[in-house]
Parts: sequence; C-alpha cells; structure tokens
Amino acid sequence: MLQQIGNIGAIGTFGAGSLRLRLFDGPLGLAWKHCGITSDFLGDIYSARAHQGSVEANEIRHNVTYLVNEILENALKFKVSGDIVIDTLVEEDQFRLCIANVISEAGALRFQEVLSGLKGRDPSELLIERIERNAADPKETGSGLGLLTLMSDYGVQLGWDFRKPAEENGTVQLGTYAVLPLA
Amino acid sequence: MEIKTSEYRIWVEDAAIHYEGTMRLSGTEAYQPIMELMHNVLNSEPEEITLDLVGLEFLNSSGINLLARFTIEVRKQKSIAILVKGSTRIPWQSKSLPNLRKLHPSLQLNFV
Repeated sequence: MLQQIGNIGAIGTFGAGSLRLRLFDGPLGLAWKHCGITSDFLGDIYSARAHQGSVEANEIRHNVTYLVNEILENALKFKVSGDIVIDTLVEEDQFRLCIANVISEAGALRFQEVLSGLKGRDPSELLIERIERNAADPKETGSGLGLLTLMSDYGVQLGWDFRKPAEENGTVQLGTYAVLPLA
Repeated sequence: MEIKTSEYRIWVEDAAIHYEGTMRLSGTEAYQPIMELMHNVLNSEPEEITLDLVGLEFLNSSGINLLARFTIEVRKQKSIAILVKGSTRIPWQSKSLPNLRKLHPSLQLNFV
C-alpha cells in the first residue's frame, strides 16, 4: 500500500531551520496529556518570532497549538506501536507540520474511507452536515470533525501519506502533513 | 452544580453555564459528564440558557462537537432561547463559535 491523499509535494520537505521532536514510546509510555504539553510547547516556540503580548503572537500561539494538538490527538489515538515523530517549519508565513506514526492496516483502510468522504467538498458545508449527522446518531463518534474544523475554520491544507513497511507486518506508516497560513 | 479539575472548571448559576480553563478531553465519552451537566440545565426548561465561554482559553474539536450537539438539542425546544458569550481575545472562539449559528440561526452570539 502506497497512497498519497492531498497535495503532499508542496508540504513535505523539512530542511534547514526545521525542528524535529520525537515522542518516545519508552518505559514511561505516551499519555493523552503529552498532546497538550507538546502542542503548547510548539505554540510558544513559534509565537516567539512575533512581538510578545501582541494580537499576532496570541493568534500564532493559539493556531499552532490547535493544529498540532488535533493531529497529535489522532496520532496517539490510532497508533499501534512506536514513536511519534513531529517535524515543523515556518517558511514564507506558513507553519508546516508533519506528524508520523504507525497505525494498523485495518485502521489505515478505515481512515482512507473517512478521507475519501471529505474529497471535493467545501469543508465548511461538510462540517455542518457532519455535525448534524453525528447529533442524529448517538453511535457516531465525530470522526473527521477535527480535520474539517482545521480546514474550515483555520484554512489549513492537509495531506496524508500511507506506506507499508518493506516486510509486511499488518502495519502502515502514516504521515499527516499540514500547512497553516500565519499571515 | 460544578465540575472542577486542575485544568478546567464548569459551573452553573441559574440557567447560565460558565466554563473556564483548558479543555482537551479525549472524545465524546470523556465529555459525557459535562454533557449531563448541560442537559440538567436544559431539562429544567428555563426561558433562556447562557453558555458563558469567556474564560475558556482552549477547547479541542471533541469539545466543540459537544457545544454543537447541545445547540441542536436546544434547537428542538422551541420555547428555550440560547445565548453564547465569547471573547474576541481567544482565537478558537472567533473562528468556531459562528458555526453554532449555522446550526441554530436564532442562537444569540455575543463577543466581549
């Protein structure tokens, strides 16, 4: 399985000036609270370039934190094993992000179905449609709403890269790419 | 009625529900106790419910989904009005709260 969804070519290079964080799946384990701690940290780092206390710094801190938190929550929720690797870069008034983690093959197929339902639609319309559908069915878990919120309310471009390892073991390496306009 | 942790606090005064802090719970199930508190206010059938979010610095998308679901519940009760108070200082609020009016056009949204 090698599948790319979205415009990854324009997002997927992290060279000079980028920052990489690796959340180790070590003896202490990875917990839900690490999403908040990590996203707050990156929000602080990237807002430091703006005048502290300004509206701009507040907006950058919040928007970076929000984006990283949403993608990281998904990574933690669906990962089957291994570390989570986070690459970030600010370039030309854009915050670029890639979060890589390992998910199950079955999880990858389910996620690809969710993503194919988002393709070619206006995210703002689709967000409202999905909220109505979720409210009508108590079994619905709101899957995809976070991604739609990022696209609709934050103007984020998203892309996904699914790769099977050389030796198949029922897992897939998932890279989630995002571009957030800062200006 | 009050739900309080080290990260957030939610409490009820008459038919006003106040929120403050940072809410990043892990999904619909984790938000269930908060939804129950909100339903208790709805079930008391007040003329108007206020959601005061002015002190809520951060809410993840699962939490925004909770507000959206509750808005739809209120929409079904024709005799109950709803007022949402937000802050222009908090970016998620100015970006995402207007969606509640798309779900329930007579919802009143006030920013301070």
